Amino acid sequence: MESLKIAFFCWESMYAERVGGLARAATHLAETLVDQGHEVHFFTRGNIPDQTIKGVNYHYCQPSGNNIVEYCDSMSASMVDQFRRYDTPHRFDFLHFHDWHPVQALHYLQDRNTILSFHSTEYGRNGNQFGDWWEFKEISGKEWYGGLIAKRVTAVSATLKKEVMQLYNVPDEKCDVVPNGVVPREFRVAINPGEVKKSYNIHPYAPLILFIGRLVYQKGPDLLIEAIRKVCRHRWDAQVVVAGGGDMRQFLQERAKDLPVNFVGYISDSEYVRLLNAADIVVIPSRNEPFGLVLLEAWSAEKGVVASNVGGLSENIDAFENGIKVDVNPESLAWGITMMMDEPENAGAMGKRGRTKVDRLFLWNPIVRGLTETYARTVA
Amino acid sequence: MFSPDPKIKKKDLFDHYFDSLNKEILLRIVDKCYYPATKIILEKLDEGFSCSFSMSGILLEQLEKWSKDTLSLFEEVARHKNTELIGQTYYHSIASCFPDKSEFMEQVKLHSDLMHDQFRVRPTIFENTEFTFNNEVAATIRDMDFTGIFTEGVDRILGWRSPNYIYTCQDIPVLLRNTKLSDDIAFRFANPAWDRYPLTADTYAHWVASSSGDIINIFLDYETFGEHFWQETGIFDFLRALPDELSKRDVASVLPSQVVSQYSPVGEIDVHETISWADLEKDTSAWMGNDRQRTAFHAVQSAQTYAVDKPLWRYLQTSDHFYYMASKYGTCGEVHTYFSHHDEADDAFKTYMRVLADFESRNIRAMKNRKAAKTLRTLSPEQAFHFACPTGFIGHTAYNLDQFEELLYFVPQDSLNYHQERGDFARWITDVLEDPQLAESINGLTERHDLTNVIKERRELLWSHLK
Repeated sequence: MESLKIAFFCWESMYAERVGGLARAATHLAETLVDQGHEVHFFTRGNIPDQTIKGVNYHYCQPSGNNIVEYCDSMSASMVDQFRRYDTPHRFDFLHFHDWHPVQALHYLQDRNTILSFHSTEYGRNGNQFGDWWEFKEISGKEWYGGLIAKRVTAVSATLKKEVMQLYNVPDEKCDVVPNGVVPREFRVAINPGEVKKSYNIHPYAPLILFIGRLVYQKGPDLLIEAIRKVCRHRWDAQVVVAGGGDMRQFLQERAKDLPVNFVGYISDSEYVRLLNAADIVVIPSRNEPFGLVLLEAWSAEKGVVASNVGGLSENIDAFENGIKVDVNPESLAWGITMMMDEPENAGAMGKRGRTKVDRLFLWNPIVRGLTETYARTVA
Repeated sequence: MFSPDPKIKKKDLFDHYFDSLNKEILLRIVDKCYYPATKIILEKLDEGFSCSFSMSGILLEQLEKWSKDTLSLFEEVARHKNTELIGQTYYHSIASCFPDKSEFMEQVKLHSDLMHDQFRVRPTIFENTEFTFNNEVAATIRDMDFTGIFTEGVDRILGWRSPNYIYTCQDIPVLLRNTKLSDDIAFRFANPAWDRYPLTADTYAHWVASSSGDIINIFLDYETFGEHFWQETGIFDFLRALPDELSKRDVASVLPSQVVSQYSPVGEIDVHETISWADLEKDTSAWMGNDRQRTAFHAVQSAQTYAVDKPLWRYLQTSDHFYYMASKYGTCGEVHTYFSHHDEADDAFKTYMRVLADFESRNIRAMKNRKAAKTLRTLSPEQAFHFACPTGFIGHTAYNLDQFEELLYFVPQDSLNYHQERGDFARWITDVLEDPQLAESINGLTERHDLTNVIKERRELLWSHLK
């Protein structure tokens, strides 16, 4: 493919305003496009002068508004102003929008070659339920409108693609799956698990089960606690670390009073990497998961994964090949955890095969090659 | 366990760096394999059987030092009319993986010269270390006037095609190892869990005879005979009986150079990714599969600038050093542990880095720009920078300034902040890398890309002084 000039519209990026996982995904996509010989201008928020990092040109704006919707419309207007400045002398070949925030900008620029990427939907973020408040309706409306006017749409998993198709009537042939990627080196490190376990007052040889994520209903931490109660009847030595904060923490701690569960709250990225590499099993008990980035991170660290058979997790895990998939209930989860714990050799082998899958399918380079195919289909 | 000792003289460095265990292991293998197996093969060669041999320069050096009898036995084999010597790198090295192929070519030439000096023949067929192969390797070997090259018959390259024919890659004929029939001997021979156990020469010859195609390449570690499978398994009886069983079924044994002149290629193979014969993955993951291995690989590559003493640097490129650092699970993991004399892959890695660091720092004295050489040198684990957060080590270690910059791109921000607040980066750069100027210029920088920009610029400047 010849060198393309591409504009990214995303409300967050890794080196300025950063909110969640979207910043990481969009920044990696942009940087990898540059690596592959393309020119990328990234329009985003930030209170700093424009800059170029790893070849990506960042153009910042500072929106304002009385509510999130107004705020994003103001952001979109500034982005379009900036965009027009860089649209000469060579016009941009493709305009790539991420999530609903810059949909107003997509509206202004709808005659161009536009792509809208869904990293999640408002319905999914709301725990797979419709809301009756005005923001919910407004944001869902923008998602529908963006899906309607964009020349092409992408979703991070087949599950999310189906969701977008059903919610917003996006036709199948207009929508591609462009998964999330990972940089395995960030997560696989040479660290002594025993030393990390000791820093949590856990015996170096005790099997450590790790949960990381927000403590909210969608992520299923309550299922894990109930499962651990069953696991402990069989394995007195099991230890659990629950990392992350959220509404359910109080409730969960109460439930887990008599169990070997450590609630460590929100942890830094460094501490996450330490814990991830010290863990023997990573558990992802989500009730709903459009993609499930923790899976790629656990695989990068070559860890055995026990996960709910839902969404992106269900799609990406090959049962007993690179992880164990369980039903969304404590009994099934307990069975999976016990199975993984009783055969540590096998857990390691599954983790290793997960890493092989990451190296084959979830590195940014092959993902971006897929993305440029989507670009090509936009004009075809 | 290696520890640097400045009192060691240059001429004694080899013994200082490389384990005396080498001798013990060599003599064990001579006893169990090289001697008895070669005796049998010589007998069979006289009776008309033909086969080829590939021996590294390192092996011949060790035999010269510790087992002259075996060397003369090999000499007898090498000069026999029914054998052929295959080319490889003198140091059984990973040099073909370097982006610049000149070092690789140099080592191929050294090996060819050695074969000529020792045995009066120059190889015309080539096999790279553990069959490491890709388009670039093929093109390089073609340009060195070899007439054929061996590699593994890897399924994902061949697809529906059979390995039992000649193919070309970059216009050089390629001989593909028949993985299944080779591994029937190399891996499964003495495995009681195998449904064809015990394997007899009779059965095996039948399998070969009933295979379709022009040629079948059986390529084995020589140590299969007597070392991987001890005499008690019957492996020598198998070896002794096989040539007769084959000729009974009209299977001719042919030398590789005859094969490439007799048979025409039936198709082309295109190999972008690097393949090899190692493990199940059939790629380079046995030597470059983990970060330790990649760190060591990059370090030995940049050590070229420091290599006043080329042979020592080349001994450090031998693939086995990297193999010992592997971390794999499953049956391949068992193979790795069996072949490695280190208890832990980590141990192997640290020892290697200590040796490399010592090697480089000794050579700095003889270099023109000592200051730049000092700052860019590879460090021992004790001198390396270990990234941490308030609770402890986070698993990333920089063994030189190049790697320090590389890690700064993705080490978590909270760790960068932690070190910058304490002034750790500046202190390390001043005390260990001895570059106060660089330490000064990174002082107070907290943005990741500011840090990497400054270091990148300095690093490139210093390297330009060494070129």
